[in-house]
Amino acid sequence: MAALRGVSRLLTRRALNTAPKRGYADEMSFTFAAGNQVFYDAQSVRQVDVPSFSGSFGILPKHVPTLAVLKPGVVTVFENDGNVKKIFVSSGTVTINEDSSVQVLAEEAAPVENIDISAAREILSKAQGELSSAATEQARAEASIAIEVGEALVKAAE
Amino acid sequence: MSAWRAAGLNYINFSNIAARLLRRALKPEFRAEAAKRDESHIRITKWADGKPIRQESSA
Repeated sequence: MAALRGVSRLLTRRALNTAPKRGYADEMSFTFAAGNQVFYDAQSVRQVDVPSFSGSFGILPKHVPTLAVLKPGVVTVFENDGNVKKIFVSSGTVTINEDSSVQVLAEEAAPVENIDISAAREILSKAQGELSSAATEQARAEASIAIEVGEALVKAAE
Repeated sequence: MSAWRAAGLNYINFSNIAARLLRRALKPEFRAEAAKRDESHIRITKWADGKPIRQESSA
């Protein structure tokens, strides 16, 4: 009888050990921080869309591990409760780890509703003026960056 | 290769320009606070024999 109890205890323990563990593999631990603000801290979300130099892409749970460099544009976060948040990032990095955790680190970030459309248009037209009057190759390069940022800002604010 | 990289700029330069422009594109109520982040300063002090060598700080 004691032996039988021992076996049954062994079986139940085994059953407990093999129960599937729910980890980050079927959800996403999302962290999004900028120099000015932390937007998400290891929060579980459904999907994140990011603009990067290797193209804009969406991140779902179980995405392959990736590193990418951000370009100016809108990061869209689909939260678990169905809310969608749009946050403009200047630049930075996105890291997708093997455990499905995702980190977006930006130099500067702001919700798109905080962008002033007229200020964005002014930045774009000023940058276009700077490009045509640029004397050195470096000034030209800086102006073309400003145009790229300006266009992204106007597009996001519209 | 992007034009700015060909002109000798790197991603740090790109990032600085982009961040500065985003701060300027914010609505007026957020812009003043953001503008404070435009400038950053570092102070470098060299040490010799366990003592700091006094020198002029640079912005």
